[in-house]
Amino acid sequence: MRQQLVQIFVVLIVVAAILLGLELGVRAGYLKAYEFPPASRIAEGFVELATVGFPTGVTIWSHILITVERILKGYTAAILLAVPFGLLIGAVPVLDKMTAPLIVFFRSVATLSLLPLVIVWFGAGELTKVILIGYGCFWVMLSNVVASVKYVDPVLIRAARSFKANGWALYREVVLPAALPRMFAGARIALGVGFMVIVGAEMIGTIQGLGALIMEARSFYRSEITVIGMLVIGILGFAISTGLATLEHMLLPWGRSLDRVQR
Amino acid sequence: MKRVEASTTPAGTTGLNADRDSGGRMAMIDIRRVEKRFSARDGTETTVLHDINLSIAPNEFVCIVGRSGCGKTTLLNILAGLDKASGGEVRIAGERVEGPGQGQGVVFQQHALFPWLTALENVAFGARSLPIGKPEKIERARELLQLVGLEASAGQYPREMSGGMQQRVAIARALALDPEILLMDEPFGALDELTRIEMQQELLRIWDARKKTVVFITHSISEALMLADRVVLLAPHPGRVARDIHVDLERPRSRTDRGFNVLYEQIWGGLST
Repeated sequence: MRQQLVQIFVVLIVVAAILLGLELGVRAGYLKAYEFPPASRIAEGFVELATVGFPTGVTIWSHILITVERILKGYTAAILLAVPFGLLIGAVPVLDKMTAPLIVFFRSVATLSLLPLVIVWFGAGELTKVILIGYGCFWVMLSNVVASVKYVDPVLIRAARSFKANGWALYREVVLPAALPRMFAGARIALGVGFMVIVGAEMIGTIQGLGALIMEARSFYRSEITVIGMLVIGILGFAISTGLATLEHMLLPWGRSLDRVQR
Repeated sequence: MKRVEASTTPAGTTGLNADRDSGGRMAMIDIRRVEKRFSARDGTETTVLHDINLSIAPNEFVCIVGRSGCGKTTLLNILAGLDKASGGEVRIAGERVEGPGQGQGVVFQQHALFPWLTALENVAFGARSLPIGKPEKIERARELLQLVGLEASAGQYPREMSGGMQQRVAIARALALDPEILLMDEPFGALDELTRIEMQQELLRIWDARKKTVVFITHSISEALMLADRVVLLAPHPGRVARDIHVDLERPRSRTDRGFNVLYEQIWGGLST
């Protein structure tokens, strides 16, 4: 708890220092306001976004809602697909050998480079955005689930075998629980990928969503709004990631959280 | 210390005579001409164990001592049925070892407890293959935790326990099937000196209470001399039995005893040549 407070405090100080620096820089005439928007402009922009909206009629709240909805749809679909496939591949060495190069290949293809093709296939609507987010999350999650099963501490498996656990029972009673922490870590990394992809995924065919907000602001030279979009994405990512960590500590009370207690 | 010899002799076991030692009693563990070879990727073969022959009597406490890489752990894994010998065979009470759970309980180098289970659940896992209900398994686990002096920590997770406590739970778990044999792979190697001495006394107490045949791997000569009836020295490249030394010292033993130091020198000499 104390550690978390310290973390938040450090983040706040860094952000405050940057904002103060910009404000002073612009007021003193060293920086141009449209290149480095000062805090006062950002605050004004935020009020405008919260009330009138940008573009007019679309408030920051609906941008956030739309973005979160898209990320969660793509992310959830990716997790739901990656977990069973990963568990299977990780448990069957032949499958792992066959799929390993494919997984590395598909994971390495930058998600946004697929944009033109996905638009051709699925149009420029909602589905395309969700698919792009899902694609990015899926491969990261998949490779983590495979690794979580593959790299279970062999001494645990030997211990279980010494008590005559084997086959499905060994997998269910030992491999699965031992793999959970790494699967949770993978889920958090995948979420990060989802947030990275969102701006690109919302570049086309929409005026709603934080990515669209950022692109729209760019074409009107409203850099303070770009910054707001950026900040909101950062805060959202932080909040959801913290939520996942809390969930992990609740579901796996024997895991890392206890390390901290020990120290 | 005089101990009662096992009087049970499985009838109809083949090769019965061969299983008896010179005293005419049945060996608990009989290791015959055991070989272990590993082939590397480039096709070369390494012999890890060569022609290992050992006969271990019921309730005997045997320590296997050797340098790193002499195949101690491999030998223990073969005894445990977790690894297969490339040649030769191991018999437990006359039965050829085909896999785990033929009367071997294993304590591993790192405690190897399941981090997601509490101490009690870990011990109960040890009893998983018994044909009894869950409440009985829990009851059994509770008794074993009591035996190792940890009944108060039943609900703790391994990470919340000290190294010594973790190894106690691991010993309790290994006893869950009431095995004839306890196989221990450097179980106290990671503990600090004081905890280590405590655990040695604890193990002797449990051995006395439960009458097990113990095969204990260590590379500490004094640990071997504190514990064992017999110390087997393994020499490396390939792993083979170099010396087989009987320890005729009264228990409880003392590290400052003259006999202790004579044997210490003897083993040290055996290891350095």
